[in-house]
Amino acid sequence: MEKGKNKQSRRKFISKTVPAALGAIGGVGLVAQSCNTTEEEEKVSLLTPDGQLVEVNKSSMQPVSPAEARKGIPGKQFVMVIDLSRCKNARKCVTKCQKMHDLPPEDEWIKVFLMQDSSDTAPYWFPKPCFHCNQPPCVKVCPVGATYKRTDGLVLVDNERCIGCKFCMTACPYSSRVFQWKEPKETNFADREYSPETSTPHKVGTVGKCDFCPDMIRQGKLPDCVSGCPNGVIFFGNKKEDIVSNGTESFRFSELIHDRAGYHFMAELGTEPNVYYLPPVDRLFDYEKGFNNLTDEQVEFYKKSIVKKH
Amino acid sequence: MKNLCKHILILGLIILFGMGNVFAQKAKKKTTRVGVAYFKSDTKIETLVATLRVKEKRYIPLNDAVLTFYSVSDTLKVLLAKIRTDENGQAIFALANNSKIAKDSTGLMAFVVEYEGNSLLKDAKRKITVKQAGLEVSFFQKDTIKFIEIEAKTADPNTQAAPINNLKIKLYIKGTFSLLNFANEKTDKNGIVRVEFPIDMPGDTLGVLTIVAKIEEDDVYGTVESRGEINWGIPVPLVKEKQRGLGDTDAPLWMVYTLITLLSAVWFHYLYVIFMIIKIKLAKL
Amino acid sequence: MNLNPKSAKMLDYFASQMVKVSKPGIFWLAIATVFIIGGFYALIVQIVEGHIVTGMRDNVVWGIFIANFIFFIGISYAGALISGILHLLRVEWRTPIIRIAEIITVISTLIGPAYILLCMGRLDRLHHLALFGRIQSPIIWDVMAITTYLIGSIIFLYLASIRDLAALRDYPFKSKWRNKIYTILAIGFNGTPKQNRYLDRSLDIMSAIIIPLAILVHSVLAWIFGMTLRPGWHSTIFAPYFVVAAVFSGTGVLIIALWIFRKYYKLESYITKIHFNYLGIILMILGALYAYFTFSEYLTSWYGSETWEMEVLYKLFNPNEYWWWFFFAAIIGVVLPIIVILIPKFRNINSITAVSVIAVLALWVKRYLIIIPTLEAPLLPLQDMRPEYIHYTPTIIEWLLTFAGVALFCVLFFLFSKFMPILPVVKADEGNYAELRKTVLKRIVKEKMKETEIKESEKMKDL
Repeated sequence: MEKGKNKQSRRKFISKTVPAALGAIGGVGLVAQSCNTTEEEEKVSLLTPDGQLVEVNKSSMQPVSPAEARKGIPGKQFVMVIDLSRCKNARKCVTKCQKMHDLPPEDEWIKVFLMQDSSDTAPYWFPKPCFHCNQPPCVKVCPVGATYKRTDGLVLVDNERCIGCKFCMTACPYSSRVFQWKEPKETNFADREYSPETSTPHKVGTVGKCDFCPDMIRQGKLPDCVSGCPNGVIFFGNKKEDIVSNGTESFRFSELIHDRAGYHFMAELGTEPNVYYLPPVDRLFDYEKGFNNLTDEQVEFYKKSIVKKH
Repeated sequence: MKNLCKHILILGLIILFGMGNVFAQKAKKKTTRVGVAYFKSDTKIETLVATLRVKEKRYIPLNDAVLTFYSVSDTLKVLLAKIRTDENGQAIFALANNSKIAKDSTGLMAFVVEYEGNSLLKDAKRKITVKQAGLEVSFFQKDTIKFIEIEAKTADPNTQAAPINNLKIKLYIKGTFSLLNFANEKTDKNGIVRVEFPIDMPGDTLGVLTIVAKIEEDDVYGTVESRGEINWGIPVPLVKEKQRGLGDTDAPLWMVYTLITLLSAVWFHYLYVIFMIIKIKLAKL
Repeated sequence: MNLNPKSAKMLDYFASQMVKVSKPGIFWLAIATVFIIGGFYALIVQIVEGHIVTGMRDNVVWGIFIANFIFFIGISYAGALISGILHLLRVEWRTPIIRIAEIITVISTLIGPAYILLCMGRLDRLHHLALFGRIQSPIIWDVMAITTYLIGSIIFLYLASIRDLAALRDYPFKSKWRNKIYTILAIGFNGTPKQNRYLDRSLDIMSAIIIPLAILVHSVLAWIFGMTLRPGWHSTIFAPYFVVAAVFSGTGVLIIALWIFRKYYKLESYITKIHFNYLGIILMILGALYAYFTFSEYLTSWYGSETWEMEVLYKLFNPNEYWWWFFFAAIIGVVLPIIVILIPKFRNINSITAVSVIAVLALWVKRYLIIIPTLEAPLLPLQDMRPEYIHYTPTIIEWLLTFAGVALFCVLFFLFSKFMPILPVVKADEGNYAELRKTVLKRIVKEKMKETEIKESEKMKDL
């Protein structure tokens, strides 16, 4: 009896902690004993997300240069699947993203909209990162190639090349882009070397947007919005492997899209997004749960802006 | 009399609340919890991952606290290491054939991880017992059907390896960010599991897939992992990189030609007119 | 081939006007200078503080700067199309208006692109356009087209001025620097048959090439908007629509400029009611064409009633949002000029100028209404708690820079009129400059003799 109880509690503990342990052990929080140096190149031991302890060159953990960041990771095609039936506007994806990218609270690279397709249909919460389209309207119009499409599907911005014409912002039909209107406030990342893969430190007068956290991807880790979501709404993966994961569960991408009727948001625009949505059926939460963390004013505002009256 | 009752009642209430406050003071020392898990990786690196959490509304990780790792047997308690927790509240200890680790005759190791506590936090500890196990992944083909075979054995260096039967094995395909589970089986009396290979999975350019076999969170053996690679997946070619299009670095050729034609047509006329102006200058009286 | 005495008289008149500034001239110049200083201040504020000082935010990323840009490029059409076409068709009455039209072109093509620069977040990286330019981007098309257009306009203006520059070279100004500059610019033109032939050929070529170029420039400008997937912008008729709107506003500005210079330089005998009538009729036709495009554009999107198109239309037709502006820009600003010019009873110099002012203002508002409502109606709902992110209001900085642009336009125009006669003085079929020099010298000698006579007579009296 005693043993059984013990067993159960331990199970519980592991199931709670392991995902966090697997997802989160990074280069920074490493234990001293697991580091060792060799003569050729400094190596760092890392615990990979799937529990493997590996040795990597320390240089590969530095943010890559703007030139290197244009190439893309070979053999990858990154996709995101967002399960609308699980979202209750917890907004953890937003805050995690802001922390990761050193954004002020008002700048959101991933936004959560309250959507209602028409007045009779059911409202639902709609997290929206950059769609990293395969036919990106923003990349087409950029006069200097500051925003570009990589072979691994990512659309990134080189803030050291951007001239701030904002053409990409008008071209993007999904309002994914944010402009740095003023000199960024005090930042923790000021001494960091700029890389389009980290998008930090921000540069005044240039355009920023969701970048799918390529610096995390390079370390084999999921983007912060994915691992930060308490409800496992967002799945991420390599389409070429046909596997997507939200940190705790993994699915075959093709099966998930097929079985759950995955779709592209506004597919008619022909932008071919790399973000897929699963329709909000058999929901885990009533959409009104999403109002819990909001002020009355915000709730009122959402309700007013939800359906456009004509 | 009535008044007196009232006063006593008030006094009682005051005492009660006062006591309550005293209790509250004591209760302010927060509960902590230590969790330990044993991992053995494919590269045979064994680690103990300890997590320290503190109870606020719910349990949250506590960083920068010292956890003490001990090896324990019936009689002894040997200090192994003191490790600070990282920002996720984790401290990782690598076993690395440490000679201080005690084993009993059956190869069972026992560890205790302790947190001392301080003026604000309660102390906590957790014991874990582990037996070393190993997995071996191999592939074979029978007729046209492809199989994966996993053999589970004990892996105590001091004793002979013995097959482990009735052990739950989970099989995964390795992805960039996660493992995709495709089979869960129990070992037979020889400690063997045979599973059909998932032939419809895309691999890399050569079709190579990594199969991961795991004993997961087993009460006796902890988490043990082993991997095998084979080119039985569907090869996925790399996309051609250089292209000409609206979204690419290089423009479509028709666009280049049109632009050059238009610009040169106009600028040719400009140059001609400038030539004329020079002629006017030369033709002066 | 003798120099027309009328031309000599005209040159004499303009030359005397060019070296002095009248009192009202100083007054207006001072006002314009105040505006330019205001704009300069605003520019410095914007550079120091960043774009946060403008009303632009993440949804409305382009504000009145871009409206001004389209507006100025639009009015540059006056010179390009009108003078180009009139020149090629050898229209008789074109002579007095052609120089003014060409100056409008050059000055507005200089000022217009400045607004694009004001809208750019990183002016310090302007050279990236040359380093990394991608010809797939309509902005690069625009950069190339506008540069080419500006250079073409300058060449055109210069060619059409050579004869006058030569005349000015031979005119004895008091300050020698003028003659020096004119001598350089006149490149030894003396009106020989050979030179005349070369010059006329060049003028024909330039006026022919400037017409398609002008159309292309404004089409490219329209395509900046048309190439995006935004309601109210993503329209196939946008390029011709912009071209017509541009010529419409260009003609309006031309009429206004004619009126002002006619008043200021007292050119009633040169710029007559005929010119206003003809230009008025052109304005009317363009107005009708523009109205047709407007009607076609909004009818199509309203009839289709696509959600996003309706979003923009709803803004334009909502009395609480843009309806009154839209009413002014698309209805008053078009119908009024047409009615006033159509009915002979209403048609006179002042009324034509007045409706031109209305048309030009309406066209500026129309540019505002093309840009802002569309940007305020993104495809996804505007769920932002910050009011400035939902509704765009130009800040004082943006207004200062806008007025500075208009003031700069006027000042440059004024300065140019002090450097060159505002009307072409020497006609194409004349140009015996030796003759001209003689008549002028004779007159001067006469004047000098008169002066000495008077002085001597005064001396005699004193004695």
